[in-house]
Amino acid sequence: MGSLYSEHSTWLHAVPAGWKLALLVLLSTGVFWLSTPVALSLACAASVALFVSLGAAMRPAGRLLKALGIAAVLVLLFHAVLQQPLVGLVSVLRMVAASLLSIALTLTTRSGDLQAVLERLLTPLAPLGVRADRFALQLALMLRFVEHFFVVWKRLDDAYRLRTGKGGGIKLLAPLTIQMLQTARRVADTLDVRLGE
Amino acid sequence: MQRNQSFALVALFAALMAVLGLIPKIDLPLGVPITLQTLGVMLAGCLLGPRRAFQALLLFMVAVAIGLPLLSGGRGGFGVFMTPAAGYLVAWPIGAFVTGLVMHTLPSGSPRQIALSAFVASALGGLLVIHASGVVGLMGIAGMSLTQALIGTSAFVPGDLIKCVLTAVVCHTVARGLPDWQFSKRNT
Repeated sequence: MGSLYSEHSTWLHAVPAGWKLALLVLLSTGVFWLSTPVALSLACAASVALFVSLGAAMRPAGRLLKALGIAAVLVLLFHAVLQQPLVGLVSVLRMVAASLLSIALTLTTRSGDLQAVLERLLTPLAPLGVRADRFALQLALMLRFVEHFFVVWKRLDDAYRLRTGKGGGIKLLAPLTIQMLQTARRVADTLDVRLGE
Repeated sequence: MQRNQSFALVALFAALMAVLGLIPKIDLPLGVPITLQTLGVMLAGCLLGPRRAFQALLLFMVAVAIGLPLLSGGRGGFGVFMTPAAGYLVAWPIGAFVTGLVMHTLPSGSPRQIALSAFVASALGGLLVIHASGVVGLMGIAGMSLTQALIGTSAFVPGDLIKCVLTAVVCHTVARGLPDWQFSKRNT
């Protein structure tokens, strides 16, 4: 399965994932505290500068940037129609500044590294019954089965097309769900054998 | 045994959520396109019960947050939690939990009862809770007033009501196809 991570190495790739995540949380919270257009414009400009400094690594973000652009135009238009363009500008600047920082994190950090950071953050919760190792296994299982269920859906769609001449669409949801529940039972049996719990 | 079953269900349902994002948008008979992922939130609550549904959606959101393009349209990463629609997204695990909780209290004796209960549960958890949180998000991120946000969100209510009906239909089929499935009754 694809990822939004960019293999094209940049200076931001070298910063440890934990630091980037902490900075993102701090900076995006900061952006939501700012309220004047001038301060927000500066924050947004800094954010854009950081993003542009990634150069060719920006390429996988095309779809994300498009979605962000559409949201920005919609918010601006909405507030322009209501005669309050300044409110629209403030919201859009805030949104763009915070989003670009997050997209930069996504582009320059392997999801495995971020997962490792999350597991470290979860470790102190062990006395409450949260087990970081089980979380990692669950995430791995999930990713493994995305592909599996996509193939199952394709097969159901092909079978439906053979019978009726058109795609199954929404009608395949129930059989797909039943397949998922049955597979979960089999996976649980395997886990019983493997983990012995 | 029970624990591993819950463990597998949570992981596999999260995978199903991702597949619902990969399936191209589906056109309903009237030509209205719908994305299936919010339907997944409702299904999670009805099929898995509150706790496991919450965990499944949380697992899915973590995978999105660490940068996997699992939301419909191939979106992912922390950035998706900073767009005007973020209010709707963050409410998915809570919406699934409430759906499961309501489903747990409603009767599930026959497939027809299950379908009715699933409709009510998804309308409360999958529609009401998620839209309420969405309104807060629209106010906070897009700078809308309460009335404006309510008008904005109401445009999506008819589509979501159709999803509640679809959830009921799927639950009805599951009840007939897997007669021993306990919906949200077992191991809440």
